[in-house]
Amino acid sequence: FDWITWSIWLIGLIILVIWIYVPYKEFRKLLANRKKSD
Amino acid sequence: MAVIDIVIVIAFLILTFLVGSFFYKWVGDPDDFYLAGRKLTPFILAAVITATNVNLYSFVGQAGIAYQHGISILWQTWTGNMALVFSGLFIIPIMRRLRIRTVPEFLELRYSKSVRVLVGVLWVFRLAFWLGVVLYTAVVAAQAITGIESYTFWIIAFAVVAIIYTVLGGMWSVAFTDVMQFVFMLGGALIVLPLAMSAVGWMPGLIEKLPEHSLTLVRETGTYNWKFILAIFLLGIEWASVDQGLLQRAFGAESTKTVAKGLVLAGIITTPFALLWNLPGLAASVLYPGLQNPDQAIPMLLSRMVPPVILGLVVCGLLSSQLSTISGNLNGVATLFTNDIYENLRKRKATDKETLFIARLMTLIVGIFMIVFAYFVPKMGGAVEAYLTIIGIMDMPLFIVGIFYGLLWKRATSSGAILGYLAGALAGIFGKFVYMFDFNLTTFISAGAALIVLPVVSWLTKPEAKEKIENVWRARKTSEEEEKSGVTYNIIPKTRKGKLSGLVYLSGVLIFIGGVLTGSNGWPYASFIAVSGMVIYFLGGLLRVHFD
Repeated sequence: FDWITWSIWLIGLIILVIWIYVPYKEFRKLLANRKKSD
Repeated sequence: MAVIDIVIVIAFLILTFLVGSFFYKWVGDPDDFYLAGRKLTPFILAAVITATNVNLYSFVGQAGIAYQHGISILWQTWTGNMALVFSGLFIIPIMRRLRIRTVPEFLELRYSKSVRVLVGVLWVFRLAFWLGVVLYTAVVAAQAITGIESYTFWIIAFAVVAIIYTVLGGMWSVAFTDVMQFVFMLGGALIVLPLAMSAVGWMPGLIEKLPEHSLTLVRETGTYNWKFILAIFLLGIEWASVDQGLLQRAFGAESTKTVAKGLVLAGIITTPFALLWNLPGLAASVLYPGLQNPDQAIPMLLSRMVPPVILGLVVCGLLSSQLSTISGNLNGVATLFTNDIYENLRKRKATDKETLFIARLMTLIVGIFMIVFAYFVPKMGGAVEAYLTIIGIMDMPLFIVGIFYGLLWKRATSSGAILGYLAGALAGIFGKFVYMFDFNLTTFISAGAALIVLPVVSWLTKPEAKEKIENVWRARKTSEEEEKSGVTYNIIPKTRKGKLSGLVYLSGVLIFIGGVLTGSNGWPYASFIAVSGMVIYFLGGLLRVHFD
């Protein structure tokens, strides 16, 4: 088991998950605000 | 490339087009088109900046250098990330407070309209030609990876899709397609890393099969040695302070604090990401030694090792890296032209509708120019490289004139700025093409000329109007906009936690520089200390934007 490679990989995966979840949530918020102002 | 992979790539392009076109209705006025209505949040901003900065050069070119020279090329990206944090903490917040859209616009606020138009025109030309080169390199890499030789197919894949959604939705489309593309390219890199490392016997296999210098981060000798790290760090700060493609994203942030947070986050997330594309370059040097052209290393690794379906997804990641760079810079050119040239040439103020029409038309015209120029690039040979070198040289005097003197010395004048800029550019071009100095030395000579000429001319000319200077200087402090919203950011920390985090940041800088300098005599712990300094630096930056 290569700890170094998989640690780098895991950090990348965590960034990937955060950057799917947070921008999607923020997009939903922006969309709701636009609908409200419309 | 199997049929299923081609289907995946085409499906990805259609998805990108649909996501990009969705935001057409979100563009109501020019600020929506240029800056996404100044509503970008820290996480969206970080993804957008990363997607714009990371392109096929990273995956193919930089990994190719790792293949040839070893892992120390990582510092090109890592010091760039450190520069992003520096710029996000100290420089771009000032510009965000001035509510500008482009770097030339700042030059008018600080100096005069003539400085703005001069730099604006030069930047429009530079970005338009550069986009053509970017498109050409993307097509060549895509041909090598996929085996699909049709030049026109790839032009459509890269250019036409990006042009259409950028014309329709401006920065809103660019921002959200960038987020999607960031996810695809990070996902692609996460697929390739374990495949490449398992083929060489993981990290122990790499250590056993490669010479020690290939795995040394801070090297005593070689092209990418400790001196390279310090030089590229300084050049990175220049880039992170004046690059229109980067700054325009930052100006789209919802507040000054968001600018600082977004840039710090962008620097931090690109740091492990850089390992994901450079380690496969090292693995390729074990698997396929002795390639004539190191740029072939990653395409060869992908075409030989990655199975169907997975290859389709990885190619989508590579396409993403280039699409985001093209769309972001297309939007940048349109903004520069409309904001700095068109609106300055008009007798009366343009309506929002007229401005939007011109911005969209300009995006389309530059997009078509980019496609035509991409067909000519292979026929121009050395001319392209010479051109890219010249524009690289001209960034440094812009940094000295606009940022160094512009933000630090009240007595700098418009005439000093113009002559300092031109003197720096000419000194750089002479140094490179007459004396044949290398790129790093040339940029420092160029900086020296601008550093000397601007103050001399400024002392001989009339000072700028006092209120103009005070307006720029006021932007160092929190703005009315921030006070009203309650979301403030202090460039010089005021609270105890802010000051402490500033100290952590500063100690990170010193440890990093100490680590790099000890690499000059081959000290074995130099790499460890330099990397530790970088990590402390990022931690300090993150705490700094969080607390104050």
